[in-house]
Amino acid sequence: MSIRIGPKDWADDPLQNEDLAKYPFLNDVSEYIRQTHFDFEEYNRPEFKDIIETAIERIETEASGRLYEKLDRFQREVFIFLATLIIVKSIGIESVLRKYSLFEAMRAEKFLTEDLKRERNEQKRRLLLFKIFKELFNVDIDIDADDERLFKVKITDYLKRASHFHEQEWKLINRMVNKGYVYLDADETVRLFRNELGALVYDKVKMMQLLTLPEALKTKIEELRTKMTHRYEYRATAVTDYPPCVKHALEVMGRGENLPHSARVMLATYMLAIGKPVDEIVMMYENAPDFNEKITRYQVEHLAGMKGSRTKYSVPSCDKLRNENLCFATAECDGIINPIQFGRKMRK
Amino acid sequence: MTESAVVKTINAVKSAFRGYYFKPDMVEAPDKMEQREFGYMQFGQPGMVRHLSFKSMKELTATIMKEVPSDIYCSNAYYRFPTYPMQEKQWLGADLIFDIDGKDLHLPCVPSHSYPICTNCGHASAPVPDEKRKEEHYSCPACGGKKADDISIPCAKCIEGSKREVKRLVEFLTGDLGMQRSDIHIYFSGNNGFHIHVSDEAYIPLDPQARSDLVGYLSGSGLMAESIGVRKGNAENLFFIKFPKSGLAYGWRGRVANKLKIDGSSMIKLKHIVEQKGGYAAFKADLDRMTRDIGVRIDPQVTTDVHRVFRMSGTLNSKSGLAKIKCGDNIDSFDPFVDACLLGDGKLSVKVKTQVKLKLKNKSFNISKESAELPAYAAIYLICKRLAEAS
Ligand code: SF4
Ligand SMILES: [Zn+2]
Ligand SMILES: [Zn+2]
Repeated sequence: MSIRIGPKDWADDPLQNEDLAKYPFLNDVSEYIRQTHFDFEEYNRPEFKDIIETAIERIETEASGRLYEKLDRFQREVFIFLATLIIVKSIGIESVLRKYSLFEAMRAEKFLTEDLKRERNEQKRRLLLFKIFKELFNVDIDIDADDERLFKVKITDYLKRASHFHEQEWKLINRMVNKGYVYLDADETVRLFRNELGALVYDKVKMMQLLTLPEALKTKIEELRTKMTHRYEYRATAVTDYPPCVKHALEVMGRGENLPHSARVMLATYMLAIGKPVDEIVMMYENAPDFNEKITRYQVEHLAGMKGSRTKYSVPSCDKLRNENLCFATAECDGIINPIQFGRKMRK
Repeated sequence: MTESAVVKTINAVKSAFRGYYFKPDMVEAPDKMEQREFGYMQFGQPGMVRHLSFKSMKELTATIMKEVPSDIYCSNAYYRFPTYPMQEKQWLGADLIFDIDGKDLHLPCVPSHSYPICTNCGHASAPVPDEKRKEEHYSCPACGGKKADDISIPCAKCIEGSKREVKRLVEFLTGDLGMQRSDIHIYFSGNNGFHIHVSDEAYIPLDPQARSDLVGYLSGSGLMAESIGVRKGNAENLFFIKFPKSGLAYGWRGRVANKLKIDGSSMIKLKHIVEQKGGYAAFKADLDRMTRDIGVRIDPQVTTDVHRVFRMSGTLNSKSGLAKIKCGDNIDSFDPFVDACLLGDGKLSVKVKTQVKLKLKNKSFNISKESAELPAYAAIYLICKRLAEAS
């Protein structure tokens, strides 16, 4: 089976199927599946048993916040990816979908960075840039004429994305800027698009229409759902006593959405202040798409004054939270200046 | 001021403004007019009439003729429904605009032409030299009030200062940002500064955060020492040199490298410089000062606000009676006190509140007596500055 890729004027396509295996969300891959007239029922065939197992392994790894790095042959990779989409869709747990999308994005990010760094075939590098950035996100990225390790991004395309990153080094002033372009290395160029890659995978799942599930997947999905519901689904435990700002943060995280750093700090310091044990606090972050238990534990312990500077951090004031758009005050907040006071007056 | 004097003064200004707007084609038509929000202020009334929409200049002109507003504004934003409340307007994008205001430059000449005006009774006093201001707190000679507004009659130096910033901004925009000079439009604000409008379509969709990042770039704030190769070591004030992969050739890196007379191979030289300054922290503090110095003094709020309304080009500024107008291609030859002073020269009698000096339409006025008969453009200027009233 051969598939067409790229604009017709590329005489001989330098991109091979092995290259595409790393980027199964590309339009070309969907086109490939369409051309093979693949029917979901084919997942019931014995040769696909192994593909399904791999798909499940991939989802479980990603849902628990780790990168899945194994890469198969193209013909298998395509159907593994398709299976992950079907399974994640059928499980129907939002926070699983979000983590899966993020780690699929980071997986592609890893492959793409390597390709852009190691590939010596100039035409192939250009085609990759085109396939991924132009076709998917309509952004032009060029290779610098003087230094082929660097990539040129239009300033406005850069600002739209990087201005939402928090680290100081992403500020435009800390970049090499000239004549309307920002110059980035391969890692930076690809990192710039992480959210969009994630959103692309996320949308693929959301948009998917599932009519009937092949039997071979059905039981697997049931098993996985039971396992994951227990672990990941947002538990609406009694959060009614928390101040609205804390409640809001818990809800956002429960939905598996990203919480800004300042909100995470507020949540942790608040929980520490009311005497929650570190273990319990760490698990509150479990649904965050980028959850990493070790890092989270370190951070919470740091805030508790058990690590590093040994100063115990206090809960930020309502004023500060208001400034950071983290305040969701209700009438019950009247007259308090720190979330920690919430509810105290009433109980008295 | 007595109530009748207030009415009389307002009427005098209003009639001068009406005369101005009566002439055809004074107000410049903004593009995509139907997607913009308009607003205006009325003489003697607080607050802005906002959320208006006009389909054509004819419609807008009719309203201006009818209301004779003190100030007329139009959004930099484009909306699907410009007349709806803010949350429902549906923002489509906004022009990129920069504001350079003479008063933000803190020029040494400013105290010599700033008139304290009592916020309680409106009494105006002669300018007070800077040193004296620090010692004595304001006390109104007429009512003993303790608060005053400083009303400045910008001098040629003030305008020169603003122009210098404008030129530096244009350099940044056409150099680092690679904009076409023809996409950059410079306007005199109508009082003491300039508005720079950018018509490059690529900037229209940018959100406030992206604009704020851009402002940081232009004003030189937040450059890390690491960006030019000075990295923090693992103990207080320790450092080492490692140049960034993409080099020091352009942008802020280039600017700083130039100042320090180094390039991507000056490892040892840079090490010496940092040591001389006293280590990482001291070098960083110095760097901050240097970049703010090289950066352009633009008002960060104005550029990041994508829902703001801006004074329209060709309309009068009620803080001065001068017009906001487009400066030609050569900003050096633009003189706001001539080119933006567009009111008539019929005589008007005014009561001047304190001794003042000003120069308009190339004519110098040095008014020391209380009652004076002045050409309308000068009389209105002083009234708008709250230094005179109609008599
Ligand atoms: S007022 Fe204070 S406690 Fe209430 S929501 Fe806002 S920040 Fe939280
Ligand atoms: Zn007074
Ligand atoms: Zn001056």
